[in-house]
Amino acid sequence: MRKRVRVGVYVCHCGRNIAGYIDIPQLVEKLKAVPNVTMVKDDTYMCSDQGQAMIQKDLREGTIDRVIVASCSPTMHERTFRRCVAEEGFNPYLYQQVDIRENCSWVTKDIKEATQKAYAIIKAGVSRVKGLEPLWPTEYSVAPTTLVIGGGIAGITAAIDILEAGFNVILVEREDHLGGWTRRIGKGFPALVPLKAFLQDKLETLESYPQLKVYRSSEVVGLEGFPGNFLATIRQADNTTIEEAIGSIIVATGFVPFDARKKPEYCYGMSEQVITTVEMEELLERGMPSDNGQPKEVAFIQCVGSRDKSIGREYCSRACCMVVAKQALLLKELIPEARISVFYMDIRAFGKGHEECYEKAQRSGVLYIRGNPSEVYKEDDKMVIRYEDTLLGKPQEAKADLVVLAVGMEPAEGTAELIKALRVTGDKDGFFLEAHPKLGPLNTHSDGIFIAGCCQGPKDITDTVAQAHGAAARATLSFHQGRVIKEPIIASVDGEVCSGCRLCEAICSFDALRFDERRKRMTIQEAVCKGCGACAATCPSGAISLKHFRPAQMLSWVEGFLA
Amino acid sequence: MQASLDVADAGYQVYLVERTPWIGGHMSQFDKTFPTNDCAMCTISPKLTEVGQHPAIELITNAEVKEVRGEEGAFHVRVSQKPRYIDEGKCTACDQCAEACRLKDKVFDDFNMGLGSRSACYLAYPQAIPVTYAIDPEHCLMVTRGQCGTMPKCIEACDRQAIDFQQHESSLELEVGAIIVAVGYDIFDPTLKPEYGYGTYKGVISSLEMERLFSPSGPTEGEIIIDGKVPQRFVFIQCVGSRDQTVGNPYCSRVCCMYTAKHAYGIVDRVPGAQVTVCFTDVRAFGKGHEAFYERVQRSGVLYRRGLPSEVFARNGDLVVRGEDTLLGRPYEEAADVVVLACGLRPRRGMQEIAAVLDLAVDENGFLLEEDPHDPVVSGRPGVFFAGCCESPKDITDSVSQASGAAAKALAVISKVHG
Repeated sequence: MRKRVRVGVYVCHCGRNIAGYIDIPQLVEKLKAVPNVTMVKDDTYMCSDQGQAMIQKDLREGTIDRVIVASCSPTMHERTFRRCVAEEGFNPYLYQQVDIRENCSWVTKDIKEATQKAYAIIKAGVSRVKGLEPLWPTEYSVAPTTLVIGGGIAGITAAIDILEAGFNVILVEREDHLGGWTRRIGKGFPALVPLKAFLQDKLETLESYPQLKVYRSSEVVGLEGFPGNFLATIRQADNTTIEEAIGSIIVATGFVPFDARKKPEYCYGMSEQVITTVEMEELLERGMPSDNGQPKEVAFIQCVGSRDKSIGREYCSRACCMVVAKQALLLKELIPEARISVFYMDIRAFGKGHEECYEKAQRSGVLYIRGNPSEVYKEDDKMVIRYEDTLLGKPQEAKADLVVLAVGMEPAEGTAELIKALRVTGDKDGFFLEAHPKLGPLNTHSDGIFIAGCCQGPKDITDTVAQAHGAAARATLSFHQGRVIKEPIIASVDGEVCSGCRLCEAICSFDALRFDERRKRMTIQEAVCKGCGACAATCPSGAISLKHFRPAQMLSWVEGFLA
Repeated sequence: MQASLDVADAGYQVYLVERTPWIGGHMSQFDKTFPTNDCAMCTISPKLTEVGQHPAIELITNAEVKEVRGEEGAFHVRVSQKPRYIDEGKCTACDQCAEACRLKDKVFDDFNMGLGSRSACYLAYPQAIPVTYAIDPEHCLMVTRGQCGTMPKCIEACDRQAIDFQQHESSLELEVGAIIVAVGYDIFDPTLKPEYGYGTYKGVISSLEMERLFSPSGPTEGEIIIDGKVPQRFVFIQCVGSRDQTVGNPYCSRVCCMYTAKHAYGIVDRVPGAQVTVCFTDVRAFGKGHEAFYERVQRSGVLYRRGLPSEVFARNGDLVVRGEDTLLGRPYEEAADVVVLACGLRPRRGMQEIAAVLDLAVDENGFLLEEDPHDPVVSGRPGVFFAGCCESPKDITDSVSQASGAAAKALAVISKVHG
C-alpha cells in the first residue's frame, strides 16, 4: 500500500510584504486542517538562513516527505528552496513553491479576501505536491571545441580567447584568407593608428596554437545535435563536405557594405568621380595620384544605405560617421590644400575618443554641412551636389572633383541561409537576432550558439572586439566544467500510445523531436528538449506529457482549487 | 554582475567586491530600458538573485580594494570592509528597524536622488541583494555621536538581535588569478552648468531624478509630480556635461540621446496632453533598434528642436528656456514647467585612487585606459580587465558584452593557472 504523503507547509511573512496584507495566524490555523498537511510553520523570512534551517531540520527528523513554501514567485526563490531541500538528500522536485505574494498579497487589498485567496492557493499546492514524482537531472559530457564561423576580427579575437583557455577551435572562413574587412582598412579610428600590426599580431597568435583547425574557402551548411555535442557539416572548397564534432558555435560572419547603386540619385557606378568609403580606404592606402590627378574638392555623403526607409534600411550603421571623420583627416594630411566637405544628418561620434576625433576633423578645416543631398550629377568635369543646408534653411549646390559615399552595413551574403542552417532567428533587418536586447547581446535563442561582431548588427572594430571576447566566454562556460547539466523537466513520449502522426514535430521550436522510422513512433532528444510543453499540448492521443506537469499532476492542482 | 556570473558559471570562485551595501549599481535606479521600454527592475532582479544565490560567488559588500600585489595568475588583494552594523546572518529585512529609527523620514534618500527620505537603517530598494539592511554611518546617531537616546530604537525593534554597533572595519586578504574592474560611473553634477538653474529652480531636475519619478517603486510611485503639481510642459536638454569643453568633458556620454528619447516617450505616455520638447545637437541613435525607437518618439508628438539652450530662467512663475533653433536660425524662448537635464557620465569619484591601487593608467578624461584603443577589455596590466563604464561611457547592452569579454580574458588566465 502506498504510504500516506505528509506535507509540511511553511508560510513566509516576507517582512510585511505578505504579513501586512494576509492574516497569517488565521491562515496557519486553517491550513492545519487540510488533509495530508502534517506540519504548518511560519517565519518572517523563509529564505533567510534560519528559515531554511527550519525546513532542513524537519526533513532530517523525518516528520514530512513533501515541502511547500508559500512565499514569493517561483522565479524569485524556487531555486533557493530546491537547493535547501536537496542539501538534506531530499529530491528537489518533490518541493513545491506556492506564490502568495505576487499572486495574492501584492494585488489584493482586502485582508479577509487576501487570506482566503492565500488559503486556496496553498490548498491547491498541497493537492499538487501529493502527485509529484522525483526527477533527476542528466549530465552530458561536452566536446571542448568551438566552431567559429567567420575569420574576420570578431572570429579571430574569439578564437584566440578560446585557444588561450586551453580548448579547441575550428575556424571556418568563406574566403581563402583570414582577416575579413579589417585587412582592407588602413588606419583605425579614432587613434588613426595602422591596423596592419594589430591584425598581424592577432593572426600570428592565433596560428601559433596547435589546437586550431582552419577551413578556408569553406562554409557551414548544416548542424545536428545539442549544446555540448553538435555535429556541424562543413562544405569545403572542392564541394566535398566534412563533419566535425563540436561543443559550441560562435557566428562571426560580419557584414557587406551597402551597394550604392541602390541609391541611383548619387550616380555611383555611372561616374568614376563617385566612389564609396570602401574604395576611399584603398585609395588612402595605395596613396593618391600625384599632381593633377589629385582631387581638390572632395565631398563625403553620410548615411548612404543607413537611416533610409526608402530603401528599407532604417537602422544606423554606427561606424560610418567616424569612418568619414577619419578619411577626411587622412585626406587632409595627404592633400593639405584640398577642400573637404561632409554632408550629414547627425554626427554620431559616441565611442571613446570619437568626439575628439570629430572635433579634430572640424578644426583641420573639414566643413560639415547639415543636410542629406537629394542628388549628385555631372556637369563638365565636376560633380554637382544638390542639397538643402538645413541650418541655413536654403537649397544649395556644391561642386566636387570626387564624391565619397559613406556606405552602411548589411548582413553578409549567405546570412539568411546560415540562420536557417543553424535554426536560429534573424531580426527584421536580416542580422542575427540576439536573445535579449539588454542582457543577452551575445546569445541566440538556441543554447550553445553565440554571436559576435557585425553579424548581430553594425558596429566598429572596438565594439566588435569587446563582443567577440564576450562570445568566447559564453561559448566555453560548459567546457570549463567539462559537462552540461540538463534540467529534468522535459517532455516524454509513451511509445505504446503514440500513433506516429507527427503533428508534434512541426510545433517544436527546438528541433527536439526525432521520428523513429522503424517503429513509427516519435522520440524526444532529451538533451535538446527545453520543456516548453508545446508538443504535449499538440498530441491528439495524449502520448506526450511534460514531466513535472503531467495531466494528472495538473488536474490534481486544479482540483485542489475547486475542492 | 555579468562578469561574475560568467566566471562562476565556468566553475571558478568569484569574489565580488562592492563599495555600497548592495549590488545592482545604477541600473536598479532605472524605470525602463531603451529601446524596448522593458521594465529595468524586472530585467535586473533575476540577475541580482542569481548573483546572490550563486554558490561560487562570494559577495563582499560595503568594501573597497585597498592593495593589489603580485601578478597575473597570483594576485594578493587586500580588501577593507566597512561595518554594516547589522549582522547579515540574522537580519531578515523585516523593516522594523527602519520603522523605529529616530531619523525615520529625515535622511536624504540617495537612491531616490533626494526626492524622498528614509531612515538611517535602510534597504536601498526592495529587490536589493543581499536582502539585508544596513546602517548609514554618515547619519546614524549611534555612529556619528555614539548615542541615540538612552537606547537606539532599532535595537529595541529588532527581534533577531541583528543590530550590532560593535562591528568594526575589517580587512580581508584574497588570493586571485585575475581581476575585473567594473566600478562604473557617476552622473555629471548639473550645478556645474549654472546657466540651467539646477538647484535654483525646483522645476529643473536631472535625468536620474526623472528616472526615479517614473519608477513605480520611486518616491511618487510612478506619478509625475514635481513640487506638488502635475506638470504639463516639459523641455529636455541633451548633452549636459557631455561634448562640452567648458566643463572639461569633451566626450560624448553615449547613452543620453536614447534615455532622453525614452523619457520623452514616457511623458507622452503618462501625462495626457503634455507638451514635450527635446533640445539636441545630434541625435545619436546608433544601437540596434535605436533609430526605430527615435522615430517612434518623434511620431508620438515629441518636438525635437536642434540647438542647445543658452540658459534657463524664471519669469512670472514659469521656467523659460532660451536658445537658438539652429534649423530655423532664430533665437527662441519656450515656457516650461519642468526642464530635465540629460546629465552625462563621469568617471566615478575616487577613480584616481582605484587606478593607483591597481597600478593602471587613466585617459585624458579620467576613465581607465586600455592597452590598445581597439580592445576595450584589456588593461595595461596583465591579468587586469575592464568591464562597463569605468573604461568609457556605454549602455547596458555594450556593458554586458564587454563584461562577458572581461570574463573570457579572466577565464583564460585562471584556467592556465589551474592547468
